[in-house]
Amino acid sequence: MSSSSSQSVSILELYPEHLEASGERGNVTALTARLERAGHRVDVVQHTMGRRLPKDADIVVIGNGPISAVRAVHADLTENAAALRALADDGVPFFAVGAGAELLGGGITLADGTVLGGVGIFPFSARRGVPRQVGYIVIESAHGTVVGFEDNASEWNLDTGAVPLGVVTSGGGNGNGREGVIAGSSIATQTKGPVLPLNPSVSDAIIRAALERRDVAYATSAAHAELDRLAAKSREVIVANVKSVFTTI
Amino acid sequence: MRYIAPVLVGRAVRAVTRARGGGSALPGYIVNKMAPGFIKNVVAQFEYGIVFVLGSNGKSTTTHMLTEVLRGHGLTVFTNPSGANLPQGISSALLSEVGVTGKLKADIGILEVDEAFALELSKTLLPSTILMLNVQVDQLYRFFETEVVADMMLDTAAVATKHVISNRDDAYLSKIGEILAKNGGPVPDVTYFGASPKLVASSAHGLFNAANHREEASTATIDALAELESWDSTGARVRVAGELADIALPAKGLHYGIDAAAALATAAQVLGTEFDLAKASAAFSSMTPAYGRGELLDFGDEKVEFVMFKNAASLQLNLDALPAAPEQVMVAIDEGTPDVSWLYDIDFAQLDHVDVLTGAKAWQFALRLEHEGIPVGTIEPDLKKAIELMRALPAPTTGHKTWVVNYEQMMLARKIIGYGDMEVSF
Repeated sequence: MSSSSSQSVSILELYPEHLEASGERGNVTALTARLERAGHRVDVVQHTMGRRLPKDADIVVIGNGPISAVRAVHADLTENAAALRALADDGVPFFAVGAGAELLGGGITLADGTVLGGVGIFPFSARRGVPRQVGYIVIESAHGTVVGFEDNASEWNLDTGAVPLGVVTSGGGNGNGREGVIAGSSIATQTKGPVLPLNPSVSDAIIRAALERRDVAYATSAAHAELDRLAAKSREVIVANVKSVFTTI
Repeated sequence: MRYIAPVLVGRAVRAVTRARGGGSALPGYIVNKMAPGFIKNVVAQFEYGIVFVLGSNGKSTTTHMLTEVLRGHGLTVFTNPSGANLPQGISSALLSEVGVTGKLKADIGILEVDEAFALELSKTLLPSTILMLNVQVDQLYRFFETEVVADMMLDTAAVATKHVISNRDDAYLSKIGEILAKNGGPVPDVTYFGASPKLVASSAHGLFNAANHREEASTATIDALAELESWDSTGARVRVAGELADIALPAKGLHYGIDAAAALATAAQVLGTEFDLAKASAAFSSMTPAYGRGELLDFGDEKVEFVMFKNAASLQLNLDALPAAPEQVMVAIDEGTPDVSWLYDIDFAQLDHVDVLTGAKAWQFALRLEHEGIPVGTIEPDLKKAIELMRALPAPTTGHKTWVVNYEQMMLARKIIGYGDMEVSF
């Protein structure tokens, strides 16, 4: 393995104008900060409607948005579905949140029964119009405890055999005691906050998967210590206040 | 006469709840129960009707501005205390003003109203005029989608019996003209306020209004009755019906300038030929800031400037309005701001450091700043201790310290430094 990359790491950010309504820019910020502090150069490419999707990327990120935004990007996304699936098949890790994750899944059944087709990268489908879950959420996962803020009226039904991101210990999640879904090294979640700054272990898992694919090593160092300390303190308070902050609306 | 008993009971409850510290919505609730027609009869007495002030941000400030402008024209104004914008808070406020027989001596009512309750309240209060300020991403956990908030305002606007005043530069609210034209009636009439395109283009982060993903942007130019041309540390220049006026602002910033334009457009519509721009300007000169909006309070021998934020838009626009990186800064944020995902949408370039970070969400705020490499002195989750840390700092050369606070931490901080005089009526 080469110790560091002369090539920059590219993060493909899908529809930032439409699908970053819950601060998902922060997921890109977290990945970028951790990569840069490990000595890697980062190149963030934003894909907006009507633009050509780049052929390659090391990490693909998508976020949450209102239904109007989901409808707005749907045609462009469908047009690029094959290209996105090719990236996923190539082992490029995706990190997807909320409505964006649902678009990359099997589809979304809206409250009125309309179905919006998905790209099929994540093995689940979403049903909207269920009681809204709002507040801090805590999940036990393969990456340790994952914390964040959830705000959704969406139930995620995983395909047979699909593996969730984790088990909910506090909060709503998918609606059946599980939260999110994984597909290889890709992660889909309903957790906001945004989730990656608060959960360095998840960020590192995505980064490692991306760089292993290129045979590049990744190691955190003293430069990450303050990010990790503040995330740990934030997580402590979230776990302590998890019950006091919110309710089901 | 039929209101004497309910009013007296309501007042007694009010006196008791105030004596116990803080206000309460309870007295208004009791009067509503005892005499359901009470409010309708009271508000029918207003000669100039009722004005609803709606919007994601700026309701308290604009209500205050409009109230003072109309008082400057000699009107007696009934208004609700800053932030008391939920139904029972409004009832309680009315109760404190009426005589025991239900008579209220005011020419007009100007009420800031929470958008979630606006349509419901309009059935009782029958507003003649509706002012809509903006649709910005606010409390997503309460509304989820900004278009839901937009529709709450647009639907309420349609019931105004005389005037609608709306924001030309808002992607949702600028549609009200088309919407009402489709309804076909001559009333309400629609008037706009706005900021000059040049001013918007020169703003670091624009207006921070919510994006409209469901409708195409209109290509037609909409005229604004009141347009903000510029603002600086001394005030704002506003053009009202072609006439220029330099006015003082109670708080500095692009958004406060736009609030002033909104207040001026509304005053012009409500007053008609009685509106006098010179009187309006004079009213702005003597205005004091609303709670936490650029207020300077005594802090020992020094002063503290409070910069309050509720959401991404108010934090960004307030940061952008700072003339330079503040010399001494405390940031206070607690669980009163439940979802802080939007912290990662904020550009913190206006801060070169933070001295003290406090509140339950201090760590999350610090984590955000660490991603930008902005140094934080001390993180002290306890507000009282944090204030003592600020007190221990040497006197700033500017003469004041800057405290960037969410609403809940502002109320606590005011109390701690001896300004706990506000009645919270909701």
